[in-house]
Amino acid sequence: MDQEEIFLSVLEKHKGILYKVSNSYCKNSEDRKDLVQEMVYQLWRSFDNYNEQYKYSTWIYRVAINVAISYYRKENSRKVVSSPFSKSLLNFSDTPSVEEEIPGLKQLELFIFELKELDKALILLYLDEKSYREMADIMGITETNVATKISRIKNSLKQKFSKTKY
Amino acid sequence: MENIEIIDLWKSYDKKLEENLTLNRQLSLEITKMKAATLIKSMKPIKIFTLFTGILWVGVGIMIVANLFMHAYSEISHFFLYSAAFQLLITAIALVIYIYQLVLIQQVDISESVISAQLRLSSLRSSTLWAARILLLQLPLWTTFYLSVHLLQNGNTALLVINAILTLVLTFAALWLFVNIKYENREKKWFKMIFQGKEWDPVIKSMELYRDIEEYKN
Repeated sequence: MDQEEIFLSVLEKHKGILYKVSNSYCKNSEDRKDLVQEMVYQLWRSFDNYNEQYKYSTWIYRVAINVAISYYRKENSRKVVSSPFSKSLLNFSDTPSVEEEIPGLKQLELFIFELKELDKALILLYLDEKSYREMADIMGITETNVATKISRIKNSLKQKFSKTKY
Repeated sequence: MENIEIIDLWKSYDKKLEENLTLNRQLSLEITKMKAATLIKSMKPIKIFTLFTGILWVGVGIMIVANLFMHAYSEISHFFLYSAAFQLLITAIALVIYIYQLVLIQQVDISESVISAQLRLSSLRSSTLWAARILLLQLPLWTTFYLSVHLLQNGNTALLVINAILTLVLTFAALWLFVNIKYENREKKWFKMIFQGKEWDPVIKSMELYRDIEEYKN
């Protein structure tokens, strides 16, 4: 299997990460399309240097979160890729939308969206049930620090939910 | 809602994504064939224009001033010569800092840990303020380049006094801004007045993120 094929199969397996990260950092659907393209482009660029010491999911999370945090800070017209495509890389085949089908999901997404960038990254990892070790590797902080921050964010989410009907 | 319910909610979301999310393989493949945009191509046209105008200004300016230093030093006003030389030097330093910072941003390894990559990126983006601080140091030079020994000896005293006051005020303003343009003053009116607009938003946000990251590490 050549490099492109290996890359595509890794991407296929972990496409959900790109969807969830882009959805949590970017609300505008057009910008989100560009954001996912940029994530894939950056993943491809760093694929040769992928460190096998880490899981693929760790590497994908690192790149996806880094691109997402950096993305909105750039000027609107600045793109790293030279010719972004108009089509969407990720397509959701289900109607009605997943938010309408799962009660409380829209609310949770909104609460996550309202968090600060780094808290947002950490809660996404927590919800995906990553170990503290993996979260620490992705974020670049100690496991103790991860535990403290997760506990604080969870409390804040619980409080927010307590003020709603869920 | 309890933690366990939140996690269950997320699991149902994951399940839905697993069932319904598809990756456009053709488009993904096309992305792997794409070449990296050069630094210039990734910049906004107005920034490219400003950068090239700056480079042209400094390049042509240095040639003229160097020529004057070498061939007409005794004939030309030293006020003009030194004001122009310092102005060019200050602009050149600001340009070098700005270009160096742009190149370093492009070279940041995006697969590093989030804290490490974002700390590097936000600190580099924040350093754009350094270019602005340095550029502002040239303010007083715009009140001295047209002076000459002949004007000082024969010019209108009142106008010369006004000019001297203006030079002093601008020197003070330039030094004051150089010292005070920093993140801690971002909420001050004068700061917002200078750094308002879309061009500066990413820089200010990067400074905020830099602070957040510093706190996050502890």
